[in-house]
Parts: sequence; C-alpha cells; structure tokens
Amino acid sequence: MAQVVATTIVVASLYALLGAGYVLVYRASRVLNLAQGDMLTLGGYLLFAVTAAVGGAPALSIPLAAALAALAGFVIYRLLMRPMAGHPIFAAVLVTVTLGILLRAAIVLVFTDRIRHPLPMLGLSNPPRHLPGGAVVSTFDLLTVATAAALFLGLFLFLHLSPLGIQMRAAGEKALLASQRGIDFHLLFALSWALAAFSGGLAGILYANNVRLEPSLDVLGLKAFAVALVGGLDSLAGVIPAALLVAAVEVLTVRYGNPLLSDVSPFLCLLAMLLVRPWGLFGTREELERV
Amino acid sequence: MLTLLRMTVAVLLAVAAVASPALAQEVYRIGMSAAITGRAAAGYAPTYEAYRAYFKRVNDAGGINGRKVEIEYEDDRGEAQRAAAAGKKLAENSILIVNASISATYKPLMTEAETSKVPLLFGGGVCPREAFPPANPLIFCSTSFGSNWDIRFALGFIKQQAGGTKVKIGFAAQDIPLSRIELEGAEKLAKEMGFGTIPVVVVPGAAPDFGPFAQKFKDAGADWVFAWAPWPVEIGVFEALQRIGWTGSYLLYGHQQTQDELTRLKAPNLYAFGGNALFIENAPIHAEIAGVVKGQTTHPAHYMAEGWVSAMVLEAGLKKCGWPCTREKIAAAMATVSVDTRGLRGGPIEWTADNHYRKSTWYKVYRWDPAKSGIASVGGWTRLDVK
Repeated sequence: MAQVVATTIVVASLYALLGAGYVLVYRASRVLNLAQGDMLTLGGYLLFAVTAAVGGAPALSIPLAAALAALAGFVIYRLLMRPMAGHPIFAAVLVTVTLGILLRAAIVLVFTDRIRHPLPMLGLSNPPRHLPGGAVVSTFDLLTVATAAALFLGLFLFLHLSPLGIQMRAAGEKALLASQRGIDFHLLFALSWALAAFSGGLAGILYANNVRLEPSLDVLGLKAFAVALVGGLDSLAGVIPAALLVAAVEVLTVRYGNPLLSDVSPFLCLLAMLLVRPWGLFGTREELERV
Repeated sequence: MLTLLRMTVAVLLAVAAVASPALAQEVYRIGMSAAITGRAAAGYAPTYEAYRAYFKRVNDAGGINGRKVEIEYEDDRGEAQRAAAAGKKLAENSILIVNASISATYKPLMTEAETSKVPLLFGGGVCPREAFPPANPLIFCSTSFGSNWDIRFALGFIKQQAGGTKVKIGFAAQDIPLSRIELEGAEKLAKEMGFGTIPVVVVPGAAPDFGPFAQKFKDAGADWVFAWAPWPVEIGVFEALQRIGWTGSYLLYGHQQTQDELTRLKAPNLYAFGGNALFIENAPIHAEIAGVVKGQTTHPAHYMAEGWVSAMVLEAGLKKCGWPCTREKIAAAMATVSVDTRGLRGGPIEWTADNHYRKSTWYKVYRWDPAKSGIASVGGWTRLDVK
C-alpha cells in the first residue's frame, strides 16, 4: 500500500507540473494551450542541448534549461499568440495545436528521433530511495515531488503577494475591470505563457532524467489536460487534488485492475467529472458558461 | 532523294536523342513505406537511413545488372491509414515494396500487396506469420526478430541460466497485438517447460511511469522478467524495476539501441538477445558499414545492421531477377535467395518457395560485464532450424 501511495504522489506531481501550465494560460487568456505537452518535450530537449553545450554541470544546465523554457514561452506568446488578440478564442487554440506540431517536427529535425538520456551527460545517477512503509522510489521521483510542491508554493506566493501576481488574478477574474485599471494585459499574458512553459519545462527536465527523452513525450500532456479539466480549468488549486485523483485511479488500475485501462483512466476520470460536475472540482460555473 | 535521306537521318537522330534518356531512366523501381517520423520512428528510421546509404553506394558503383535502383520512400509514421495510402501510391510503379514500420501498418500493406500482386519485404519490423512456412508467395521478411522463434530461444536461454533451479518468470508486453500475442504464447510455453509464471503484464507505450507495472513483477516474486516489445517499453520496465530495488534478471529483445543502452545502464542483470551481432564485435562488415554511412545518417553506424541486412537481401534478389525485372520475376527470385550476412548475423538468410523467413535463425545474447567494463556476449551463436 505504501508503494501505491508513493507512486501515486510521484505521478500526480508530474501531472500537476503539466496541469499548472494549462490553468495558468487559461486563467489569464481563456486560451486552451494544447501544446502544453510539447512544452514538456521542449524542456527535456533544452536540457539535453544545454548539457551538451556546457559539458555536464547540472547546477548550471538544469536552471538554464528551465529558464530557456520560460523564455520560449514568452517568445511563443510574442510571436504567435499576441497577433491572435481580437480573434476568436478557437483560432488561438488552433494556433496552439499548430505550435505543437511545429515543435515536434523541429525537435526531430534538430535532435533526430533517437531516445536520449541526459542523466549520464549530467554526471548524475538516479539511485533508489527507501521510504517508510517499505516503498521505494527513485531520486528523481523525489525531486519531481519536491519540485511540484515548490512550484505550487511559489505560484501561490506570487499570485497572492506580488503586485504582478495580484494583477494576474484580477485580470483572470474580472478582465473588464482590470483593463479599466490600466493593467498591461499583454505583459500578463506573456508572463502566464512563460510560467506555463517553465512548469512544463521543469516536468520535461525531470522526466528526461528519470525515464527517457524522445520527441513523442507530448502524449503525457493529454493526460495532464484531463487533470486540468478535472480540477477546474480556472483553478490552480484544483490541479493538486485532480492530479492526485487521476494518478491514484491510474496507479490503482495498473495495480489491481487491468493495466491496459491505465492509459484511458485519466479520460474516464474526466468523463465522470463532466457528467457529475462539468466545471471541475474547483472550477466555477461561470467559466463553464464562458467556455 | 538526298533530302529524304537527310530528313530520315535527322528524324532517327532526334528519336535517338529522346530515347536515350528514356533508356537511361530504366531502373529497378522499389517502394518503401517506413516510420521515418512519428512515435515509432526511433525503431525504424535507422532502417530507412541504411537503405539510402546502401543503395547510394550500389548506384554509385554502377547499379545492379547495369541498372540503377530507384527507391521511392513514403513516411507512414507507423499509422495504418498512411500506410494504406503509401501502399497504393508505391504499388503503381514499384516491382517490390519494403516495409520498415510497426505492425499496425502490416494489414493495409499486405492487402495492397495481394491486390496489386506486388511482393512485400518486411525489412525492419517484426516478421509476420505469412513469411513463415508455408509462406505467402508475396510476403518476405529479413528482420532479425520474428514471432514464435524468439520466445523459444529466450525461454531456453533462461532455463540454461537458471541451471536447474526452478525460477518464476514475468512477461512484459506492450499494448500492441504482436507483442501481447507473442508473450501470451511465451507464458504458455514457459508453463510447459516447467517455469513458474506470472501472467503477462501489458504496458501502454505512453505510460508516464513504468513503476506500477514493475511493482507487479516485484510483488509477484519474479526471478526473471522477459520483455518482447518496442524498445521504450522493454527498457522502461527494466529501469523501473531497478528503481524499486528489484534484483532479478531481465531478458529483452535487443533492438538497434542495445549497444548504447547496455553501455549506459551498465547493469549485469540485463540481458539482450537478438539476431544481429553488435558492432562491438568489430567484424570487417561493421567497419565497412561505418565507412559507408559516415556523414550520411543521423543515427550511428551500429543502428544500421537491420536495414543493412535487408538491403543485402534485396540486392541479391534484384541480381537474380536480372533485367527486365517484373513483380512476378522478383517474387520468384526472392524465393530462392541465399545471402551471406558476413557476420552481421549468425548465418546466412536462405529462403525457399515455402519459407520466406529463413531456413535457420540465429541468436546471440549480450550483457554488461563489470569485470571487463564493457559489453560481452553470453556464449556464442545459437541456431534454431525453422521448419
């Protein structure tokens, strides 16, 4: 049982890192960023590229890769999403779909389709860690949990205590009022994209070290999309219980049910949530009407 | 009269001028449907690259029977619909189609092969049962791995390693038909051989964490786990087992990534068996391949073995076919080829009218040897006769 709990928390942490990206962009701009899974892939490959360039040095490579992921989010907003201002939301969503396709193609062109493992390049290892109750997880599993916890704590503090974060919340909750107060929407949107890419990039960096790196990791983003919807698309706090719920169902399906169903279990959770509470665990009815 | 003669000569010269390029364009037209990009590309793009490099060299040296080999490549991305479209397109002009993709693409290509009566060579993906005796006259397979025979070797190897001790085996399959069917067969065979067995664990290729799957093996008390699936699942389950502190032995099919991955993991309990010799053997053919592909491929030379053998077989078939070479003639020629694999495999690839897999199939096992601090083979080649 301890192992099931430990694995659930690890998987939930990965989903939470990705799910936070969906919510951040949606809250700010009402755009569903369907390229969030590709942000994970991008983060992993940025780590690979940076590591190759600087020759290991994890203390430099990992923060630099995460920073580059955030910068990529900012650039994506500036080049692709900002020109979509004033256009219907669905057009912006389609742009994110196209962005995902382009990112995948670019990654294959630059890095080829070979499976990569940045961990040895970083000169790091990933030994098992024994937890109370007999559970065993890897070092990077623990780092994933710690990173997700730190990210959510950081986001909470940022959104509640910093002027920019408060502006982001205001813009997300009452866009018209916020605009009348002279809030720079484009700055906030760019920031939300940068933060989303940062959280997705972190997920990719951790996953690439823990499991593997390949161009098709974007599929993990689909599962995290279910997490974001289950939690409520406009609720950052909803991501955490939703991630735990989806991960628990997935892990329990493998453990006690048919492992084949584990792949679809996030979407079964989503379906159930849509039937019972379409706005998600912590989303608002108003948001549903807007969608 | 003189004018008429001049005109006739002029016309003949003009015809000759037009006809010469046309004759020069008479080439062996081959089609290839491969997962060059997409989720399955890591396992199949090297075969595509090997073909390109191999036939560039053939053409640069004058071609086969004085004719160039022109290969039209279609990227099916490992998707059935794309493979169906590729099959239709390639069947228009090709005398033979090569498939280097996942099993999801087999059905549409085999249907097209039957409809258009075009021979189909599987040169990178797992050999389908239609290549085994009694073979379909249009289906051939040069791939090193094939259903039915791989599990026989694998279980025999585990038995040999167990040395009389009764061991419990778990089976890790991916959620694709061939992998599941093969390992369900392995589970049945293992029971017949007296092994303790754990029911096949089917792992989705997109699992975010292989840990829960690995845990099933650990909790069930597996001494050995045998994986026969695409590489990410095979190695992903092993690494997850490592992470949770499992100390049993793991046997997987050694795909093209084997040499890199054994070196990366340095795990003496990880065994990789396969039909291709690793390039650590340093056979002359390995150096030759490395020389030919240098600067031409995105994958290292040691990923080329599968595609190289397939290209060798196709070259032999075209040589036998002569010129002009039709679909019927190439199918007949392929059914009698015998190709010396020059150390890339344990023995030759020999086909007969009834057997388009090979008369004998060869296996070798490799693992990381901590004492040598390098990859070492576990014994030599083992031959199984295919009847």
